[in-house]
Amino acid sequence: MSRLLRFHLGLAATGIVLIFALRLIGNDYAWYTGYVILQYVLLSVAWNVLAGYAGYVNFGTAAFFATGAYTTILLTKSLNLDLVLCVLAAGLISGGLGLAVGWLTLRLRGVYFSIATLSLAVVLQTLVVNWSYAGGSSGAYTMRPQGNNLFGNYSEFLFVLMLVLALGAIAAAAWIERSRLGMGLAAIRDDERAAAAAGVPTLRLKLIATAISGAMMGMAGAPLPYYASYLNPEAAFSLTYTINTMAMTLIGGTQSWVGPVIGAVLLSALQQGATVTISSAGNLLIVGGVLILFVMLAPKGILGLVQASRGKGGAA
Amino acid sequence: MNREMTRRSFGLLATAAVASFAGKKSLAQPASGEPIRIGFSTPLSGGLAGNGRSALLAQQVWGDDINARGGLLGRPVKLVYYDDQSNGASVPGIYTKLLDVDKVDLVISSYGTALIAPAMPVIVRHGMAFISLLGSGTNEMFKYGRAANISPVGRKMNEDFAKGFFEVAKALDPAPTTVAIAGLDSDFSNRAMESARTQAKLRGIKVVYDRAYPPSTVDFSPIVRAIQSATPDLVFFASYPPDSVGLLKAVRELKLTAKMLGGGMVGPQVTAIKAQLGAQLNNLVCWDVYAPEPTMDFAGTTAFLDRYRAVAEAKGAETLGLYAPPLAYAQMQVLEQAVTRAGSLDQAAIGAELHRDSFPTIIGELRFDETGEWVEERNVYVQYQGIVGNDLQQFKKPGVQVILYPPQYKSGVLRPGFPAA
Repeated sequence: MSRLLRFHLGLAATGIVLIFALRLIGNDYAWYTGYVILQYVLLSVAWNVLAGYAGYVNFGTAAFFATGAYTTILLTKSLNLDLVLCVLAAGLISGGLGLAVGWLTLRLRGVYFSIATLSLAVVLQTLVVNWSYAGGSSGAYTMRPQGNNLFGNYSEFLFVLMLVLALGAIAAAAWIERSRLGMGLAAIRDDERAAAAAGVPTLRLKLIATAISGAMMGMAGAPLPYYASYLNPEAAFSLTYTINTMAMTLIGGTQSWVGPVIGAVLLSALQQGATVTISSAGNLLIVGGVLILFVMLAPKGILGLVQASRGKGGAA
Repeated sequence: MNREMTRRSFGLLATAAVASFAGKKSLAQPASGEPIRIGFSTPLSGGLAGNGRSALLAQQVWGDDINARGGLLGRPVKLVYYDDQSNGASVPGIYTKLLDVDKVDLVISSYGTALIAPAMPVIVRHGMAFISLLGSGTNEMFKYGRAANISPVGRKMNEDFAKGFFEVAKALDPAPTTVAIAGLDSDFSNRAMESARTQAKLRGIKVVYDRAYPPSTVDFSPIVRAIQSATPDLVFFASYPPDSVGLLKAVRELKLTAKMLGGGMVGPQVTAIKAQLGAQLNNLVCWDVYAPEPTMDFAGTTAFLDRYRAVAEAKGAETLGLYAPPLAYAQMQVLEQAVTRAGSLDQAAIGAELHRDSFPTIIGELRFDETGEWVEERNVYVQYQGIVGNDLQQFKKPGVQVILYPPQYKSGVLRPGFPAA
């Protein structure tokens, strides 16, 4: 059995185990919590494709995420399309948006690229606020079906959908790491000029990375209208998504797909737990506090710590 | 069994509600047994935290009150709440936790449309009776039969909201002929502006300026200058707290004058903004939900405000408590009375009671239609009069926020012109 096949079977087995484990818990809260954690796994893995592999820090996570959410709202309203088809459409549209934004901004580097991506969220939010068909500033309602053909409970269906997306994103990220695309992106991250001089098609690879990253983020946002039932621009374009995604990836480590997964699972589980246990102030401090600790003590994240402990040279 | 409420039984309930404020513990049977758990999410952090925290204090005051007089159905009451961080995406998870894990017996809503609507699918699926706080049209889509909304705007906000403002303007001499409308591009403000347009059209008043500004607006001078050049008789703003302050400061700096200025401004109701603007508020005609005037002194209102303010002072919260707190307390009173009338925690029975009869509360008698909105809108329009300096104590007294609309609560007469002479 090839290593790749073993990896994919491992992912599928993890998914099946998760579904059965949550079914054993037997309440909706488990599906809801699992959904939020997996949503951040998907966002973090997607963010890492551009930031971790190519070294381009994207502050526009909320823009791509909201594009996915509003794609679902529009397609549901106009064509009454099934959510699975909405997710695919959201991937296409967000991917196209990533490609377009990348083409316009990838000549910018460092903080200039980051500012450009941040402004994308502002531009899109303004567009949605003034688009009455999409709900405008009043927001839009999306009525959730009572059940699903395969799953009696729609919350379970949303969880499984997000699980499939998250596992698919992990498989894609793992493939990118080992592929020529991943190696090219690593070369760009280390020294873009040297990579270009060595014949790496830098612009093309960066465009592919922005498109893949944008598509994944859009697909993460697509089920949100069904999860929340009501969405307004403030909630969809919330900077919280951007900050959480960045913090989770940096805490986990950007060197591999494993880092974002670890960071997202740890931090979002911690946040979910804190929401229903400790005070709100404590909850809000978690992300900031943990991030500061990691930046100071383990700049390469948990993955860096593990590698350092194994003697692979990661700074701790 | 005839379940229609008779005048006598209504009188008994009203008397009970009044008596509850006497706080005579010696007369109450002590609550016993397992507590009845009331679950909700509430914004204790984020943009809506100011109102969320003050509403929570009011709900806790109710919790203390009801436990002191023997509990609900003879059982003590316990509030189970979580911070939704003013984020609608947190709300569905919190309500599933409350219902599936915490197994609460009753639920109420968080504060405002954006935090009420995400809870609705969970509530509907569990068949719970649901009393929400200051939502606008949240049940229009769901048409859920076990819901009630504590919000005075009523079912037809797009039409009725600004009615009071234009009714008050009728007292001006000569009668106004033009109006400028400006407001925030958000759900509540858009509905308020739509209502202003409708009312202006009905009365033959010409709209000479009509613009919505985006939430990111920080400089209001261009808007005020444009209104100034249109020279309207009336100025109707529909704004949220930060922009209400910005608009009023721009009005003052640019010396905009009008026969009447105000409208659906959210902000002047809040203690911090009252303290900040002080005498600048004089002659502003503004939408409100409650004012401490003799005409709105319902059974228990003063007692509640005294108790709330004592707790708020100690906790450093919103000290006047004139906006969200009375409504939040009334929310709990409606829940209490619906459960008491149902005689059990059966959600269908409680839901049915929500629409059967009226509820005497500290904000007056409330009656809900089939969608859970108030049968009669009660948008209050007050005019700030005689404010001196920035002392907050003056806002606790009658005669400072004079009620001009609705007529049944009118407590003074309009002072024309803005700013005050």
